[in-house]
Amino acid sequence: MMDALGSLSRDRIFYLFVAPFAALTILFGVWPIVLSIQVSFTASATALRPNPTYVGFANYIAVLADPIFLASLSRTLLYTVLSVFANLAFALGFAILLDSTLLKRGNLFFRLAIFLPVITPDVAGYVVWRWLFDRSFGAINAALKMLGLPAFGGLSSVDTAMLSILIAELWHHAGFYMIIFLANLSIRDRALEEAAHIDGATTWQRWWYVILPQLRPALVINTVYALIQFLKTFTVVVVMTKGGPNDQTNFVSYYAYQLFDQARYGEATAMATILFAIVIGLSLTAYRIGDREPGK
Amino acid sequence: MNDDIRPNRLLQVVAYAVAILTSLLFLYPYWWMLVSAFRPTRAIMSAPLRPWPETLNFQIFSEIGRIGGVNLSTYAVNSLAITTLSTILGVIVTALGAYALVRRPKAPGFTLVRYGFLITIMYPYMLLVIPVYLVMFKLGLLGSYAGIILFLALGPLQFFLFEQFFRKIPNEVIEAAVIDGASEWQILTRVVLPMAMPITATVALITFLLNWAQWFPIMVISRSPDTYTLPVALLSMNSELGSNFQGIMALAVLTTLPVAALFLLAQKRVMEGMAAGAVKG
Repeated sequence: MMDALGSLSRDRIFYLFVAPFAALTILFGVWPIVLSIQVSFTASATALRPNPTYVGFANYIAVLADPIFLASLSRTLLYTVLSVFANLAFALGFAILLDSTLLKRGNLFFRLAIFLPVITPDVAGYVVWRWLFDRSFGAINAALKMLGLPAFGGLSSVDTAMLSILIAELWHHAGFYMIIFLANLSIRDRALEEAAHIDGATTWQRWWYVILPQLRPALVINTVYALIQFLKTFTVVVVMTKGGPNDQTNFVSYYAYQLFDQARYGEATAMATILFAIVIGLSLTAYRIGDREPGK
Repeated sequence: MNDDIRPNRLLQVVAYAVAILTSLLFLYPYWWMLVSAFRPTRAIMSAPLRPWPETLNFQIFSEIGRIGGVNLSTYAVNSLAITTLSTILGVIVTALGAYALVRRPKAPGFTLVRYGFLITIMYPYMLLVIPVYLVMFKLGLLGSYAGIILFLALGPLQFFLFEQFFRKIPNEVIEAAVIDGASEWQILTRVVLPMAMPITATVALITFLLNWAQWFPIMVISRSPDTYTLPVALLSMNSELGSNFQGIMALAVLTTLPVAALFLLAQKRVMEGMAAGAVKG
């Protein structure tokens, strides 16, 4: 009995330790999420009243029948796939380059150059990119012109707007994925490579069969992080395109935010819930695929 | 083995060319921003590629002395105060929370706290901020510094870094202290905290860098530009019609410079910490 009491008081202090963390998580995490899901089942006009009118799945049905939302969702998914691929390919390529024996001198400089944008406030970075792409101010078109190359449509053309923000976002995010690959590369088992080398494996075979399988943890983590990151793409749209031109960059986060701004709370929160479900579904799938095969 | 020690010359030249070119392309936006901050808008329009300013003139920083009816210095002080206070609060709250969750993973309710936190960080951040507006309204925190600071305190990377660190503390160390008759408070303050100093410094540094960049929650929780920080001021200046291009670049420089300098001073700790926080156990 005394023992039980003793362990109780030993436990009690941990409740004290966790209390502020739990309070902030509940107040600014769980509560707003629950509130948001609740609002998604109410009529927008009554959503903020103490006794809102519940409308069942009406908002979800309206959202899924909204052609702008469906177009926005498919563009968001397309953008996410392209961005995840581009970012991870760039990050992995550059990490391999930096990890190789080829770049002994200046290694830190290259690392810092690619990573600096990660800690640069995204608003500042994207503001600069917005103007870099500009037709009359921008350095990009001025440089293309100087080299005698055709002009780049940048943010104002429907063909290049998505590519432009993909470039700006890659600049901001790729350094993060790169250091995760580098961390993984630095803890790999180099004895395996020597063994493969002795067995007569070519450089290409060594990379494909020996090194790449060992990078599975970083690949899985980066894929999940990048998926979550790009499905939520928002800041770059606010700063650079406001969803345009012609809705080309009107991704789900931004569209939902616009609806919220127009007091269409029910539909906005229904979209948030749908996006949340997609984020969780895709992340869990990526983890599962990553864990299925041996190598970790 | 020989080709590993002395790599192919041609391959090395190509590798350097690629690395240098990419690095310069990544750094060019900074250079362009810096140069443009010192050039009149009209000069930039006629020669956007000029690699340095015509004259070194700091007048633009007094021209943007007031933005949106608020002094530039107010935004700067807000940035510093909000970032510093939310960092201090976040480090303390997250360290204690992660410590408790690691030491007593099965205590009733603790799993729920963990899951609540994990779900929160999965939720699309921008869409979380909107209902947070309603919560702030209900709590009477709308437009207050307290609301902004409380909201910015928690973050995933910070939690994972602490969790990972506390998990690595060998059980024997804690057990020995228990046998010596130490209370949990004593174990925390005399055994765990001294060990946790380096990780605390890392988390504080990373939190500062991340919170300095925050803009959306600050814009949403604020009721007027009086509580805006530099990135929020920059965004509203950028959205104005007939933008003052040179002024925007000057403000972008002010927003970027402090964190860029801090990062370069502590780059090893930041990069290692961020990689470790992402690769959680």
